[in-house]
Amino acid sequence: MKDKLENIAKEVRRGLITALNPGISHHIGCSLGIVELLTYLYFEELHVDPNCPKDSERDMFILSKGHAGIALFTTLAHRGFFDRKLLEGYDQDGGFLPEHATTVVPGVELSTGSLGHGLPVAAGLAVDFMATKSKRRAIVLMSDGELDEGSNWEAIMFGGHRKLANLVAIVDKNGFQGYGVTTDIINLGSIADKVRMFGWDAYEIDGHDFTQMKLAFTQIKQSKSGKPSMIIAKTVKGKGIAGLEGKFESHYHSIDQTTKNAILTEMK
Amino acid sequence: MRQVTIEAAHKIMQSNPKSYFLVGDLGYHAVEAIEQEFPNRFINVGIAEQDMIGIAAGLALNGNKVFVYSIIPFLTMRPFEQIRNDLCYQNLDVVLIGAGGGFAYGVLGPTHFALEDIAIMRSLPNITIFSPADETEAVLQMNLAKHIKGPIYIRTGGRTAPKIFDKRYDLKLGKGKIMCEGEDVWIIATGPILGEAIEAAKEFAKKKIKIGVVNMHTLKPFDKKLVASISGKSKLIVTLEEHFIAGGLGSLVAEVMAEDHGTARLIRMGVDDRFMKEVATTDKYARKILGLDAMGIIQKIKENL
Repeated sequence: MKDKLENIAKEVRRGLITALNPGISHHIGCSLGIVELLTYLYFEELHVDPNCPKDSERDMFILSKGHAGIALFTTLAHRGFFDRKLLEGYDQDGGFLPEHATTVVPGVELSTGSLGHGLPVAAGLAVDFMATKSKRRAIVLMSDGELDEGSNWEAIMFGGHRKLANLVAIVDKNGFQGYGVTTDIINLGSIADKVRMFGWDAYEIDGHDFTQMKLAFTQIKQSKSGKPSMIIAKTVKGKGIAGLEGKFESHYHSIDQTTKNAILTEMK
Repeated sequence: MRQVTIEAAHKIMQSNPKSYFLVGDLGYHAVEAIEQEFPNRFINVGIAEQDMIGIAAGLALNGNKVFVYSIIPFLTMRPFEQIRNDLCYQNLDVVLIGAGGGFAYGVLGPTHFALEDIAIMRSLPNITIFSPADETEAVLQMNLAKHIKGPIYIRTGGRTAPKIFDKRYDLKLGKGKIMCEGEDVWIIATGPILGEAIEAAKEFAKKKIKIGVVNMHTLKPFDKKLVASISGKSKLIVTLEEHFIAGGLGSLVAEVMAEDHGTARLIRMGVDDRFMKEVATTDKYARKILGLDAMGIIQKIKENL
């Protein structure tokens, strides 16, 4: 599994860089950082069918950090939800793909872009799956900075209270948010401890390690606690690109054509 | 008025197993029947309106019809961005049942008044906005809501409402209802305050002056055609609403008149640009002190005839 997924992640990352519009596209670092998580979800974990994106038995995944839309689009294209050629229209005038996640794209379940929306919606899905005795799961990927939004804590209280065991929230803990370092802005301390106090199970993993992802999801599936789960995945913003790794600026800065070419050459 | 609206939602739920009713810890003595009959489809999300709209979106995303009840400011203003992004942008089947249009919450004061909701909600694509004048209309609109795909906001009054319609009529989505024909002067009103307009027209009728009254029960889609036709054949249009003058029915009418080059002048009656400091135990009294009751309307028309 590990080797296969690592190869796919490499391809997705290359596809992501290829799609960037030089001088225009932002949110590069936050997109690169979740490539392994999305690769794992779409190629190993989620019950989804690219030939039938609206399959009534599918798991539903929401990218709450919608600004990393290109990471999701590239993953979906590589999984076969739509033609990879459409990635060429990313961030282009009249193109098919905008920067933020949108349901115009096959396989995208919720249009996002404003933070703190994904988890409440996923909680609604989880409630309905549970009420209809379905085995489906609601899985949401959010950022650590996003946890500043009060709406998430409303949903965390709700999920804990209603024991939504079919709800999984993955936190992309890259340690940065819009204006700097997350611990400098609103220091949440231990996210795991906090959500456990709210009635959730919590798992802390390396967000680039497929074996740890597999283990966490296996534990969730085997758990009899009846609680919703949060996976806190430590990631490196800009992962995979030497000049961007661990850099705050990779949130905003776009790359020029020369840099893009150099990165792609390096990736070969 | 809220009670019959909630009951209409209850009836829809009885015939649609894929439906839910959500409250944000409100609805005491109003929603219990739904909770008892459908314990799994009634959800009190707690005092958490952003979460409430998000959950409604999640339920609707999976093909359910979802009713959400709350007092208007908490329903529309606190979670406005959730309504925009999660309901309207996704065009989901969620019916927002708002209680307390205008001053319906009386002594509870400005935090509970709803004088901005039309302005903000009408700015959203995909949404249908109903503003029933009485209980009969509220039920007729809920019957329409049963078949409408996409988000709906119904702005109901409070616990009491004037009875305007004795029986059900053929209410058409987005078509204003002419309550009485007029000549030079027309009043266009929305919501329970319509009763004041009808009363004012009756007073004028005693003096053989025919004042037209239009009941604008749907604000989105808006009946531009009717407004344009009245503005083309009359001298004065008065809009009447329990809402701030900016952004509500008066603004909707003004927009049509500005584009249509009719002959009429426009006077917009509503709440001026201020928070109300006066204590008013009823909406009736609030209208009186703001000059929005029948007497106030009569005086305003006389001044401008």
